[in-house]
Amino acid sequence: MRDMEAENIIEMLHITKEFPGIIANDDITLQLRKGEIHALLGENGAGKSTLMSVLFGLYQPEAGEIRKNGQVVKINNPNDATALGIGMVHQHFKLIDVFTVLDNIILGAETTRLGFLQKREARKKVEALSERYGLKVDLDAKVEDITVGMQQRVEILKMLYRDNEILIFDEPTAVLTPQEIDELMATMKEFAREGKSILFISHKLNEIMAVADRVTVLRKGKYIGTVETKDTDKQSLSNMMVGRPVQLEVVKDPAHPTDVVLHVDHFTVPSKSHKRNAVHEVSFDVRAGEIVCIAGIDGNGQTELVYGLTGLEKSSGGTVTLCGKDITHASIHQRGANMSHIPEDRHKHGLVLDFTLEQNMVLQRFREPRFQHMGFIRNGEVRTYAEGLIEKFDVRSGQGPVTTARSMSGGNQQKAIIARELDREKPLIVAVQPTRGLDVGAIEYIHSQLVAERDQGKAILLVSLELDEVMSLSDRILVMYEGEIVGELDPKQTTVQEMGLYMAGAKRSTKAGEQA
Amino acid sequence: MKQKSSFWSKDGTKSVLASLLSILIGLAVGSVIVILVGLLNPALGLSGAWDGIRLIFGGIFSTGRNAAGALTFGFNSTNVGNMLFRATPLILTGLSVAVAFKTGLFNIGAPGQYLMGTAASLMLALGIPSETVPTWLIWTIAFLGGILAGALWGCIPGLVKALLNINEVLACIMTNWIAANLVTWMFDGSDFRNLVENTKSGYIYKTTYNGVATAKLGLDKLFPNSQVNGGILIAIVIAILMYILMSKTTLGYQLKACGSNRHAARYAGIADKRNIVLSMAIAGGLSGAAAALYYLSGNTEFFWSTYQTLPATGFNGIPVALLAASHPIAVIFTGCFMSMLDIVGLQLTNLTAYNEYITDVIIATIVYLSAFSLVIKMLLSGRRKRRTAAVSAPAAAPAPAEPDKAAGDDAKTTKGGDEA
Repeated sequence: MRDMEAENIIEMLHITKEFPGIIANDDITLQLRKGEIHALLGENGAGKSTLMSVLFGLYQPEAGEIRKNGQVVKINNPNDATALGIGMVHQHFKLIDVFTVLDNIILGAETTRLGFLQKREARKKVEALSERYGLKVDLDAKVEDITVGMQQRVEILKMLYRDNEILIFDEPTAVLTPQEIDELMATMKEFAREGKSILFISHKLNEIMAVADRVTVLRKGKYIGTVETKDTDKQSLSNMMVGRPVQLEVVKDPAHPTDVVLHVDHFTVPSKSHKRNAVHEVSFDVRAGEIVCIAGIDGNGQTELVYGLTGLEKSSGGTVTLCGKDITHASIHQRGANMSHIPEDRHKHGLVLDFTLEQNMVLQRFREPRFQHMGFIRNGEVRTYAEGLIEKFDVRSGQGPVTTARSMSGGNQQKAIIARELDREKPLIVAVQPTRGLDVGAIEYIHSQLVAERDQGKAILLVSLELDEVMSLSDRILVMYEGEIVGELDPKQTTVQEMGLYMAGAKRSTKAGEQA
Repeated sequence: MKQKSSFWSKDGTKSVLASLLSILIGLAVGSVIVILVGLLNPALGLSGAWDGIRLIFGGIFSTGRNAAGALTFGFNSTNVGNMLFRATPLILTGLSVAVAFKTGLFNIGAPGQYLMGTAASLMLALGIPSETVPTWLIWTIAFLGGILAGALWGCIPGLVKALLNINEVLACIMTNWIAANLVTWMFDGSDFRNLVENTKSGYIYKTTYNGVATAKLGLDKLFPNSQVNGGILIAIVIAILMYILMSKTTLGYQLKACGSNRHAARYAGIADKRNIVLSMAIAGGLSGAAAALYYLSGNTEFFWSTYQTLPATGFNGIPVALLAASHPIAVIFTGCFMSMLDIVGLQLTNLTAYNEYITDVIIATIVYLSAFSLVIKMLLSGRRKRRTAAVSAPAAAPAPAEPDKAAGDDAKTTKGGDEA
């Protein structure tokens, strides 16, 4: 750890920001030193993003002041923030999809001569920056055509292009693959070494411990404390964040698998982007009372396998048998009779965002006699049912059952989906990255729910990109590589390193694909 | 969206306020033009302009001029009755657009569906011999035939969207012109071209020629000397049925789910393609009903050389729906309001030296503003928020959702803007 001068470049003192009915930030103080990486930790909805929006000039606080280098400053809008050298990578990128990468980077800070854009100089500067920090981007590609990881690099280059010295990263790793996360961490450290100051918003403890110098913890809008990472550990940070002791490890008894619920035989799903099959002749079983995890690096056919199994996409070969019935060509509705599906993309598939929470709770079940009579929805029943689920699964929202799904936090949206899917009580649960982007409290909860479902005799097919989750939650691991299952591993006997070899395609068990 | 659940901050209240504001600004702009025209025209002057403004705001209650030449106001049964008569098709085409909006589709194909409905109901009403079939039965068959023709025509863009993923706006515009030419061809190439009064070529007989006309249901007693008939009641009933369909039934739930998020609907096992076609069929049926009720009234003639123009009633459904924020019940009122402006235009022409096109300016302004009703709504909530902050009033009720999710809100606003 490098020596730290006590010089504060940014101080946010006693910031209070209220929204009607809620105090998002209650007397919060945050001091950012020059050249440090300062993490801002808190659960979903703890007020982290609000605080950063205040710093970035998107909101005006009701009380408190902001100082830069000891001088009180007033930040009325993002332009003021930029003028003060503050740059921000938002959680949802602020890029124009149909513009090229270069155009996006210079937008708002264009060099012009007689009203004409001078892109050549800009290009040189961006190329130099991209070279220097190893931020590889294709300057002439349109943003809509590049990967999420590259889009983030574009956002970072935007800040560098404006010579910002205070960089805010709002949950930057939520959308990245493990490799991209490593690269980002290295870049952030490089920035700090050069004297830039970084505010890093996250609820992932591993990353914070790996990269941050100090951590400020918020809980429910209140300031809890600031600690040095070298003086703390994951457990105490998570206790500070959640406000109670948190179980970071999954507690579960050995599985007692019984009957085969899902039988997949030489299943093949064509790819939309290339000629090869996205899923090629995959065979496996999932039995009642076990959690089978499909592990693998993103993009190796996991998504297509799930789409094929759930009916969202058509398969081109093999068979799928669910509870003894051949469902290879069944409709999604028919499959739903024996299958719950926690989808990978909660905004695209999981929720109708403009519907209320209660309407979303009956997305599949509205046809059941309990919720409709002669085609008329029984609103009272729907309300009662939604209230029950909200209570049971602790889904928090502004107005309860009538909250618009869009206005809920990501964690609670996911909880709502999980509540809906688990309560359908189907023999098979397909859960795809069920904890992505969630804080430890929510992750703990979802893991314990899945284990509880398993113990009740459900068959669970889990798809996860997080190695920790794969290792701790599954009873059996199937590794997917380039559309095929290349190995079956026992989490109790294997190591992360061994699994990594399979995931990278360097190792392959001979009976893979054949075994049941 | 942060909001308390008090009356003023309810979404519905804001929509109504936004629409009323659009209307007021529209009328104000109309008044300004009336004043300008009055000042520039010596025949009118300020007193003429004052007459014009009074007619714009109260034209529906105009009863003409008294012996001294001053405007008189009072209940005018002809005006009110005619307003209701003209509102009938507008309410239905407005519903057609509104229901499609609610399911995420932009039905700009109402004119074509209206024309198909017109052709089908006129051909049935005039083609079935009234010597053998009772006229009430002919009327019913013609009415249902009009709905069916509109629905089938609406299916085409629906199918094209569901199966080939082609934007419904494109398909609607093309089917509009196909309908216009098809209708002309059907009348021109059949015996119906001879069903004309005297020498009015291109006009087909009113349906009263065959003894078919919408029942008055006593409305002619209520509003003597006007064209009103039972059609307005049918339109209101249909609006209420649409409201029930969209907000109370599983079918409406499915249609809205597909409209808001086709992927999530599909994920949940809802037949997304079927529902898109169904949405467009319902929208088309409503436009067909508009045409049937207008032409089966017995006092309207149809000019079947339609290949050069599309019926304005179809397009006017769009402002009616926009102004009503796509709420089926509100469509009843905005439909009546739009037809009231028609009547106001007539009064301006009859009683002053202004011409009726002033009301077109008003309508255009209102349409323009109603497209901005989302912006107005945002301004309304912004003002409220500031006031709340200033007084720091204790919030009556629960909390908003997530201050953290400002980004989500942005996304919503942008999306809303697109829709408008």
